[in-house]
Amino acid sequence: MRNTGLNRRKILGGAAAMGALAGLPPRASAQGATRIRTYWWGAKDRADRTNKVNEMFMAANPGITITGETLGWGDYWTRMATQAAGRNLADLIQMDYGYIFDYARRRALLPLDGFVGHELNLSGFAPASVDGGKVDGKIYGVSLGLNSTSLIFDRETFQQFGMEPPNWPMTWDELGTRMAALTKAANRPGYWGMTDSGGSGPAFEVWLAERGKDMYTPEGKFGADADDMADWFGYWARMRAQGSCLVPEVQALDKLDIDTNGVSLGKCALTFSNSNQLVGFQALNRRKLDIAMYPAGASKTRSGQYLKPSQMWSIAATSKVPEAAAKLLSYFVADIEAGKVLGVERGIPASTPVRDAIAPSLDDLGKRGAAYIAFISDKVRDLPPPPPRGAGEVLALMVRTNETIGFGKQSVADAAKQFMRECDSIIARG
Amino acid sequence: MRQHHRARLTVLDVSVPSIATAPQQTRVRRRRRPSLAGYLFLLPWLAGFFGLTIGPALASLYLSFTNYDLIGAPQFVGLANYVRIMTADSKVADSVHVTLLYVAMSVPLKLGFALAIAMILNKGIMGLPIYRALFYLPSLLGASVAIATLWRRVFAGDGLLNHVLLQFGVVGPSWVSDPNTALYTLVALSVWQFGSPMIIFLAGLRQLPKDLYEAASLDGATPRQQFWRITLPILTPVIFFNMVVQTIDAFKAFTPAFIISGGSGGPINSTLFYTLYLYQEAFGYLRMGYASALAWLLVLAIVAVTAIAFVTERLWVHYDD
Repeated sequence: MRNTGLNRRKILGGAAAMGALAGLPPRASAQGATRIRTYWWGAKDRADRTNKVNEMFMAANPGITITGETLGWGDYWTRMATQAAGRNLADLIQMDYGYIFDYARRRALLPLDGFVGHELNLSGFAPASVDGGKVDGKIYGVSLGLNSTSLIFDRETFQQFGMEPPNWPMTWDELGTRMAALTKAANRPGYWGMTDSGGSGPAFEVWLAERGKDMYTPEGKFGADADDMADWFGYWARMRAQGSCLVPEVQALDKLDIDTNGVSLGKCALTFSNSNQLVGFQALNRRKLDIAMYPAGASKTRSGQYLKPSQMWSIAATSKVPEAAAKLLSYFVADIEAGKVLGVERGIPASTPVRDAIAPSLDDLGKRGAAYIAFISDKVRDLPPPPPRGAGEVLALMVRTNETIGFGKQSVADAAKQFMRECDSIIARG
Repeated sequence: MRQHHRARLTVLDVSVPSIATAPQQTRVRRRRRPSLAGYLFLLPWLAGFFGLTIGPALASLYLSFTNYDLIGAPQFVGLANYVRIMTADSKVADSVHVTLLYVAMSVPLKLGFALAIAMILNKGIMGLPIYRALFYLPSLLGASVAIATLWRRVFAGDGLLNHVLLQFGVVGPSWVSDPNTALYTLVALSVWQFGSPMIIFLAGLRQLPKDLYEAASLDGATPRQQFWRITLPILTPVIFFNMVVQTIDAFKAFTPAFIISGGSGGPINSTLFYTLYLYQEAFGYLRMGYASALAWLLVLAIVAVTAIAFVTERLWVHYDD
């Protein structure tokens, strides 16, 4: 009995054995190897391309192993903040213009200037593309692709009703008139011209820039006043009244992603989005989609769009292998074979040699995206000041304010005033 | 089975011979502290309880007095978070309103529904275990993401419910995305998960003394009188238990609102549960300190409500002793 029963001695023995196992050094083969962790947001297509490039890099660099972690946009930043708190960030991190200032100024990211010309080859980058990743004069992010805001629309539906697709330069009112005509021509319940994008921050930013104002000032203050807001929300109230866009209770189902967008659900023909998302939208739509610039200001000369550094690689300040990570970063943005695998899924490559090399191998969507960026390049404005902390909450406030008006709970003027009050308090709080 | 055990333990013995060298000493200690083995068995749970429950709870109590955005270090701000919640945050007022409305509607409806179904099942119908299992099923599935997504589809403008209504010539609104009705879809989802209070009611009904009903029938009491004068008073302890449990649950409800509104609490904050607002502050805007303060106030609110329930218990709960 004494030898067979489960007693404390054996439990302790088991625990001791487990402890010994846990304390064992890692497998001999892994010793001396360099491990790089990469982390990015996006859908499966992006994961496939990124993992492929990681594998190619490992094949070319024995002794380096790369692991990849990926999440959707919403959860991505939550996990990133959690990992930053645990001093456990991945080595190579996909970064966005809206967050890079926060992370760089809190010293969570590594300045990359020292690597340039050594591990990091940026010789093919235009200076403006490099500047997009700078914070306080130092490089903290390197562009993985240029893109911009764009209308995404269902070209077949426009053709079907013999309507001219949106084109540059047309004013916001002209777009509204066309969309009302489309709703009328389609003449079926549950179908409208475009999404109600009165709650879309990026659309508002472009519209406001065409009035000569930035959404955020260099000091981090909200750049619009109550009159601007009343005009913006008033524009969308008019759109709803004349039947140009989705009704509020249909728009309210939009979770601001591709899957729940009115175009993807077959409820409308046009939406306000980003140029690189043409690929994602087309994957969910049987009908042929196309992209066009946002409407122009009243003078038809000014576009509020800009080339967004929305997809960058950064290196964590806590990285134990910064040189290797910089080398991998360089491979992603400057190697032609890697460029061919990545295509234009994150946008148009910033490196001119890579862009030229991949142009012939692009599919139709890729060519359309590249042509779009080329077309807008001489029409866009300079990069606006970065959004301050609290900007994410302002975006949510825009959605809510637009709904408040849409559902008839408040007049445009009152809602605009309340928006300003809440917006100021959000920005002041940070 | 026994043989299997023996084989495994032998392997353990072989792998750690050093332990076996001090048998005398262990036996002495065992007599002095007989509970050590018990604590060892409890260790996984204890580690989880202190490491994953008590530890983080105490940490959040500390964080509730700080500004903390995860990236930088927490900065002590005293009671500032609590002061702001109490005096300067209109979204707190909105979310408290939504949450109280939800609790006040969903708990009585759910309990009433559960009691009604339990009484029907208690009539001794055929296949009772099957019905019981079927009715319990929503409670197992109810808090899941899949059901919340399904709910969104059922109650959308072109959803299942409106298709059914259309057969009767009624054109329904888009229930989930209309600020006037969105909260009711969440209440309906909660009531639909009546299984767990139903099972408890059923157990209570089973124990009702038959002789009371016989005596009442002889005296000419109608079924309705029997229900109000006998069933309900005797069931009050069960009702009380269900009420307390369901109220606490309702205060903590999160997943359905999160999925159905896409995390926004919209349209126009009409489904902004307190828990959802707390989540937004913590994980949407990285105000961990503020969110911790919100969480502790929720704990206090639940404690207060439960305390009130227990204080008022003697006014209406009938214990038969």
